[in-house]
Amino acid sequence: MTVGGGPVEEEKKPEGEGFTFPPEATQLGLISAVIAVVIVIFPGLPAIIKAAGLIFALLWGADSVRKTSKYGLGTGVPSIGVLAMGYGIVGALVGIAFGKYVSIGTGLLQVQPGVLVGVIAMAIVGLISGVLSNSEKVIGMKIPGLERGMMELGMAGALAMLLQFSIVAGSLNFDVVIDKAISNGLIAVMFVLSMMAMFHPYNACLGPDERRPRTLMVSVEISGLLCVILGIALAATSTSAWGVANGVSLIIFGAFVWGYFFVKFVKTAMREAYSTVGTGLIKTIE
Amino acid sequence: MEPILLIVCVLAGGVLASLGVHLLPVGGAPAAMGTATGVATGTVMLMLGAAMCGLFTASSVAAFSDNILLVSLSGGVGSWLMMGVTMLMANLLYVFGTGIVPVSGRVDVDPITGESQKEYRTPQCDGHGVPNVSYISGMMGALLGGFGGAIMYFGLLNYANFEPTMAGVAATGIFVSNAIIAAYNIGGTIEGFQDPKFKRLPKALLTCGVISLLCGVLVWVVANLGGLGGTM
Amino acid sequence: MLFAWMLLIVVLALIACMFEDLESDVGSQSNPNSQVQLAPQVGQVNRFFNKAISGEAPAYAMYCTIAGVIAFVLLSKGAHPLLAIPIGAVVGEAVHVIFSVTAHVGRTAAQKRFEQPIYLDVLYGHLLPIATHGFMATLCITAIAYIQSNLGTLSGMSQLNHPFALPMLAFIWGITVGAIGSSTGDIHYGTEREFQDRPFGEGKRVVYHGKITRYAECGIRTQKDIVYFCAKYGGPITGLTFGLIILFENWRTLVGMMLGGYLPNIEAAAGNMAAIIGIVAGLAIGIALIVGNVVVVKWARKRYGPFVGE
Repeated sequence: MTVGGGPVEEEKKPEGEGFTFPPEATQLGLISAVIAVVIVIFPGLPAIIKAAGLIFALLWGADSVRKTSKYGLGTGVPSIGVLAMGYGIVGALVGIAFGKYVSIGTGLLQVQPGVLVGVIAMAIVGLISGVLSNSEKVIGMKIPGLERGMMELGMAGALAMLLQFSIVAGSLNFDVVIDKAISNGLIAVMFVLSMMAMFHPYNACLGPDERRPRTLMVSVEISGLLCVILGIALAATSTSAWGVANGVSLIIFGAFVWGYFFVKFVKTAMREAYSTVGTGLIKTIE
Repeated sequence: MEPILLIVCVLAGGVLASLGVHLLPVGGAPAAMGTATGVATGTVMLMLGAAMCGLFTASSVAAFSDNILLVSLSGGVGSWLMMGVTMLMANLLYVFGTGIVPVSGRVDVDPITGESQKEYRTPQCDGHGVPNVSYISGMMGALLGGFGGAIMYFGLLNYANFEPTMAGVAATGIFVSNAIIAAYNIGGTIEGFQDPKFKRLPKALLTCGVISLLCGVLVWVVANLGGLGGTM
Repeated sequence: MLFAWMLLIVVLALIACMFEDLESDVGSQSNPNSQVQLAPQVGQVNRFFNKAISGEAPAYAMYCTIAGVIAFVLLSKGAHPLLAIPIGAVVGEAVHVIFSVTAHVGRTAAQKRFEQPIYLDVLYGHLLPIATHGFMATLCITAIAYIQSNLGTLSGMSQLNHPFALPMLAFIWGITVGAIGSSTGDIHYGTEREFQDRPFGEGKRVVYHGKITRYAECGIRTQKDIVYFCAKYGGPITGLTFGLIILFENWRTLVGMMLGGYLPNIEAAAGNMAAIIGIVAGLAIGIALIVGNVVVVKWARKRYGPFVGE
């Protein structure tokens, strides 16, 4: 499964299910983490590559939400997605504050590994909150894997926010990001749509016959929508080294990703439901 | 002096958020069907709605006043009004739209007005509507929650020198994390301070205190490293 | 002039929350949707639109924030507000429809073992009502956010502009309007209309859960039969809630500013007095509301009496 600066390639499986996800949860987490971390420390890349990293980070978050919510949280699935992005905001702010200080080179080949401090900080906060939530003496939720789940969500949230900052602002310097992404309120749409990309897949496919590959398709589709919205904002401001082409190419990439996965998901779900009829009467099963 | 004040503001905001969540009468999905007492929505959504209203009022007031007590109280009163009107209208819907008498399901006698609850309850239901004790508990919870959100916003605005939008977003992020962890503590639904689940409050206060302290330290690091100016 | 803009915001708020509640009835969302989800599991195959996006608060935050961002981007490019705000609302509603489709199809596909089919006419026939009701709500919220972030420039005193940016204001009001619609309007849908054939005047017992009314006055019930009923009571009450909240908030702030001497010429020294008067006014209104609730509960207890029956 390779993703590059262009159309997304797919591998045809014999049953025609399209994208299956051979990596199971831990492997998917590791792959996504590595890809996202490598992309985030190079803020000079074109927006399409950063968008690919964003898709992976949100996929990781959605998978983590799915794993944690399977055991019943009591308050519902959306709450843990909102928690992830709440941590993500704080982590991203810490990340861009450090990013200014540990920065090598400028322009296209700028490397800013300092932003990873924010990611690690939120991993620690997520781990502590998971430990406190699960331990018998404190809150005592008794969900297996909650500590690891909250730690992964803290990291995924911070990475997603950082990647979106670098898409819209073009660099991860504190002042530039505040001016271009936070003060004009774009951070609100990043917060809300990333939160949706993390919890909507599992919430929308909740039920006894839920299947992981089908659920994760929704996450990629929402990430495509997010890229379209960010592309519109980017094309309007257009001050990075790549110019307006950056924003327009992001819109096209996002639209393509969205269209492909949306059609695939709806067709798969209609095929895998009990039946899909044009219209009909209802029955009662005693 | 200044980093201490910032961390104290964030800590107070987080702890008050969890206290507010425990005081709000949340019935969840069963309350929308008239099966449980409380407001018919989820804990986090209601607390966030009240806190957002308070944050809006606090940010308007912070534009022309810089007294920490006045700004925070304005935020608290903003939330309190929102909860008051919402719960009163919900009661109007219960009484006239569905013909239900608001009673509590967890206590037999209302602790504040002394009205008896048992004979008005529908059998096999855990109470319905928003009785007086839940109403007052909800107003208190919204007041404290709004106060907490506003004091966090004020701290971020004036002691960390964030800009208004950035302070609002950061305050929302930290507030919502605390509210969610407190919601895990009560398991999703609670009737107010008369509910036996209210006794679990200290554990949530401890957890939210720890998380807010960590977030406060991180915010101070951001303010210092970002060079946002260090003078009060 | 300032009070005129404030009254306009109140009217917009009233319309916004009324349509928000009606939209959450047209596409069954949030708490009463748990019954629509439960129905096939107890054997009641139905023709309801199962829109399980999340609670209404984050969902409305999403549509309104997207609308706010697109409007903001268009405004910063010099477009007229009369053009920018509706275009933003249209984009927000397009996203809404996309999420509704994935939610309905996904949830129904996950209920394969309960033999609940996907009815294509239910799916396609409800997308347009959802989009139109939601468009009204999103349009009004974005207009409120625009007026509030430009209140000073519109009425001549530019210090009165709200310090938050437009998308952030849209986010705040989106969450609030979703929380209010979920707390008040859903009661009419969940308790009354979903269990229409159960006795009126009692809470709906746990044994009724899942056995929703699936047959309408004529034919099989869909969301289109539900929304006209809830538009007679639930919708207007929800709109009145948000309208009253905005009215009280803005009114006490402005009265505080006028009596404290902050208006008509902006005097910075009077800021604290203005805030104090605002707080006192808010506390007084709150106490009046508590008294109102005591009166309502007492009336209900006296007139309805204890529970009769079993």
